[in-house]
Amino acid sequence: MLLIHCPYCKESRDQSEFSPAGEAFIARPKNPEGISDDEWADYVFYRTNHKGNHWEQWVHANGCRKYFLVERSTISHQILQVAPFGARNSETEL
Amino acid sequence: MRLAQHSSHQVNYSKSLNFIFNNKRYKGYEGDTLASALLANDALLFTRSFKYGRKRGLIAAGVEEPNALVSLEIGGRYTPNLKATEITLYDGLSAVSASNPNAFDMRAFIKPLHRFMPAGFYYKTFIKQKVWAKVEDSIRAFSGFSKAPTEEDVDVYDHIFHHAEVVVIGGGAAGISAALEVLNNSQKERVILVDERSQLGGELFNEFSSDEAAMKWHKDSINRLLSFANESSERFTLLTQSTAYAWHDQNFIEVLETITTAESLTSSEPEKARKIVHRIRAKEVILATGAHERPMLFQANDLTNIMLSQSVRRYLHEYGVISGKKVVIYGNNDSIYSTARDLYVNDIECIVVDVRSSEGPIEIGAELKHSGVKVLQGYSIVKALGSHRIKGVEIKQTKLQDNGWHVFGDTQTLSCDLLATSGGFNPVVHLDCHNGAKTYFDEVSQSFLPQQERDNREVCGAVAGAGAWQDAIIDAKNKAQFTLNALGVVSKLKQEILSENYSNYFNISQFFTPKEIMNMPKVFLDLQNDVTTLDVALSIREGYRSIEHIKRYTAMGFGTDQGKTGNINGIAVAAELLKTPLSALGTTTFRPAYTGVDFGAMAGREIGDFFDPQRYTTIHDSHVASGAEFEVVGQWHRPWYYPKTGENMHQAVHRECLAARTSLGMMDASTLGKIDVQGSDAREFLSRVYTNAWMKLAPGSCRYGLMCNEKGMIIDDGVSACINDNHFIMTTTTGGAASVYSALEMWLQTEWSDLDVHLNSITDQYSTVAVVGPNARKLMKLLCQDVDFERKNFKFMQWRQGMVCGVDARIMRISFSGELAYEINVEANYGRYIWDQVAIAGEKWNITPYGTESMHVLRAEKGYIIVGQDTDGSMTPMDVNMSWILAKDKPYSYVGRRSFSISALRTEDRLQLVGLLTKDSSTVIPEGAHVIDNKAKSIGYVTSSYFSPILDRSIAMAQIQGGLAKIDETVLVKIVQKKQGLKEIPCEISSSVFYDIEGEKVDGND
Repeated sequence: MLLIHCPYCKESRDQSEFSPAGEAFIARPKNPEGISDDEWADYVFYRTNHKGNHWEQWVHANGCRKYFLVERSTISHQILQVAPFGARNSETEL
Repeated sequence: MRLAQHSSHQVNYSKSLNFIFNNKRYKGYEGDTLASALLANDALLFTRSFKYGRKRGLIAAGVEEPNALVSLEIGGRYTPNLKATEITLYDGLSAVSASNPNAFDMRAFIKPLHRFMPAGFYYKTFIKQKVWAKVEDSIRAFSGFSKAPTEEDVDVYDHIFHHAEVVVIGGGAAGISAALEVLNNSQKERVILVDERSQLGGELFNEFSSDEAAMKWHKDSINRLLSFANESSERFTLLTQSTAYAWHDQNFIEVLETITTAESLTSSEPEKARKIVHRIRAKEVILATGAHERPMLFQANDLTNIMLSQSVRRYLHEYGVISGKKVVIYGNNDSIYSTARDLYVNDIECIVVDVRSSEGPIEIGAELKHSGVKVLQGYSIVKALGSHRIKGVEIKQTKLQDNGWHVFGDTQTLSCDLLATSGGFNPVVHLDCHNGAKTYFDEVSQSFLPQQERDNREVCGAVAGAGAWQDAIIDAKNKAQFTLNALGVVSKLKQEILSENYSNYFNISQFFTPKEIMNMPKVFLDLQNDVTTLDVALSIREGYRSIEHIKRYTAMGFGTDQGKTGNINGIAVAAELLKTPLSALGTTTFRPAYTGVDFGAMAGREIGDFFDPQRYTTIHDSHVASGAEFEVVGQWHRPWYYPKTGENMHQAVHRECLAARTSLGMMDASTLGKIDVQGSDAREFLSRVYTNAWMKLAPGSCRYGLMCNEKGMIIDDGVSACINDNHFIMTTTTGGAASVYSALEMWLQTEWSDLDVHLNSITDQYSTVAVVGPNARKLMKLLCQDVDFERKNFKFMQWRQGMVCGVDARIMRISFSGELAYEINVEANYGRYIWDQVAIAGEKWNITPYGTESMHVLRAEKGYIIVGQDTDGSMTPMDVNMSWILAKDKPYSYVGRRSFSISALRTEDRLQLVGLLTKDSSTVIPEGAHVIDNKAKSIGYVTSSYFSPILDRSIAMAQIQGGLAKIDETVLVKIVQKKQGLKEIPCEISSSVFYDIEGEKVDGND
């Protein structure tokens, strides 16, 4: 069980208050009809399943209901940082 | 046997306790464990082994014990597979061996066959030959474990949550020292000390009981700790009889505290917990978990009264118990000499057999010599003698030759009735490894030590390889300084110097077992699972190389003791056979839990009514008063049907359905999910998440919507009402409310943050009473005067605001039955009132409340789907023949739309939802039954099936491959009946709309 810091509530709370919501920075294609089946499938189904530090979305489901970004190590489960949504749009952006 | 003149800090000899073991009465003392009390009574036999049925006794005094499995108490207090060494004795205790050692046992009877039962025996003999199903029950009866409980647990268990800056695990010399160092050098940091024993001190009392300085340090330290605990329970918490059994990510530690006193079993306070799980979040962890002794290997090393050397001493010092009069002490390190001294000062005859040919510890060696204790150096025990209880040992000389260790020369025999062995120590690295730490093999201490550096944790004492108590406490102080530094409490680190032989205190000889001994039968590694050196050799011959594979092939370390005593020896044997260094072979993976945890303790108070929240509508009491039967949907208790006296479910549903179709019915629809959608982009939002058009829906109107996920699969449906251009109320399915709400929030927050839309769940804020049937309009006119109910003015799929029986209400003309129907939505607290008013006013039309079962029949007659019953997360709108609901000209590509054009969702043989009419109209197909083609191959299955009272025949819906193109074709449905066996039911594929195909009923008849 992780202890997760909600960037909106500004409190560290037990994992049972949160739900994971998949990999972060998966943007919905702007023009779905204009892309190939493969590109669409890549957006819908394919995820990196990265080993190491990984950006993902969590929601404070039993709290403020806000979605936010979490950088977590998939090896040690250590949470390196959290950020509100919109604070960054990719892994490299600061 | 108990020593006559013994004073103990552990046992209170003035208070004797009665207990029963295997139906025999015994006496023990307060402070005893079940194991020590039985040993004092010379009751040595505990169990029969797992595979060969060999009689076994105790080898250890703590949690590492592999043999002494017992079940405690009976009935609602029955607990299976506890170790006798873990059970604190109380008056009236009653326990039984997991596998009765005195009963007749088949396995011992077939003794000559044991050599044909190597590792993999059961698999090769029974599973490969496909007879396992026939013999499983009889083999499992021999398993050597207690029977599962049959009664409900009457005990109460608690969970307590803690936050602490520092948690120290282990209350031996190192743990005490570390906790004190932190407490002495900090002001407000919260410290928790956890120890599995009932008294702090660990092995101090055994290894160092004759050291006066050690005893004084212990006494002073305990007093100091207790004064901290007394000053402030916030600052320092001491948990004894508490085992830290798991260490999870982010320093989340789970501890099981056992409160086994006679009082707790007979207490008049029924709420008093028997065990408590402490869940601790720590900033820093100091591990001082100590080490377990490992046994030496030789033939028949499983005879009773062959024990670990330190355990012999623990029984002697703590409980005043010794189970023999003539003791051989055998080992490869200096601690066996201390054991010998502890025995002879208590006038017990002993002989030391040391495999090392070099000198033992000089001081104690001289003392032993002076006292006439015989010491044999350079000898190995090759075999223990005796049928069940040890009677003597055979020894041979040992030396190192070019290709390994060998025994040679003549066999000598020593007689004894107790054998104490020590093969070195295994640091208790289990917890550290639970959350990912690695170990490394240390040549000096001949053990796997925890990796040096980790964030937020320190290791000290025996688990870090320390031998002497002085080193353990200095090590602990030094490490505690690091912890204080990490917490920002101290900036300048105080570090004391450790002695040179920190990890070489016991002078342990290199890990080895002579070849001649390894090749003997019955050299047991894992006593609980009967794994021998030959089994390990066999697994290697069969090609296994990884220690993880060898473990699984032989079942070594799979028992309830998790190989605490046997595993490292097994790994060493494998390393020798594979000619691989131990460091390269490594250990198997240590996983939680470190020791057994009761299911009751895991569940805590979250059982019965507290297992899952129960949700009731505000009308619930009325349903109960009406005699409704309930079904649980999500967490909601919904009326299922309302039987009148003498009616069964079928009869009640029949009556309810006909009432709604021919006159008037009413239903509590409050459980449907309701989401308030507000904002200037609310309309755009709905048109993005639903497949159909929403831009032109006028205020005062409602619309049915189908919701898909991005994969194009149906996830929910429901009616939304336009309150005004900036305000809609969406309804969802009862079960889907939470997940839909969460999915909508995700779209708004992560993709469409530019939309001005706000969502709120209002499911609990409104009660909904549905009035259904041809007479619904007449009734509504009676109940509400300020709304025009004329059919041309209040059309189907419209809503009106009005006062119903004096209560402000939104009345929606929507229908899930195909009949004229109104849903009256009022503030939740008025739900019961409105329900009752509707019931009274409807009496003249014989208004009939109906439940979910009739609702299902009514909707199925009309072919309305239930998401989650007729769809399963792999159905598109096209699959359920609802292509009409897909808008073609919406500017935004709504959720799921792009997926509809993927070829896989367009194939003709997809499962499609169709109706199914049995040729024999009275036969109702069981839901879930398979539809088969003329080659008896499954082409789909039945999703809904009922008897329709209005049609007087059975109806069903089914997902059938390419079903929409097969209307009017005949297929078979295959079912299995309990008595008649297989049966095939001929059916015709039909449209899924069975009743009122033209849709004329929805306007009523007035």
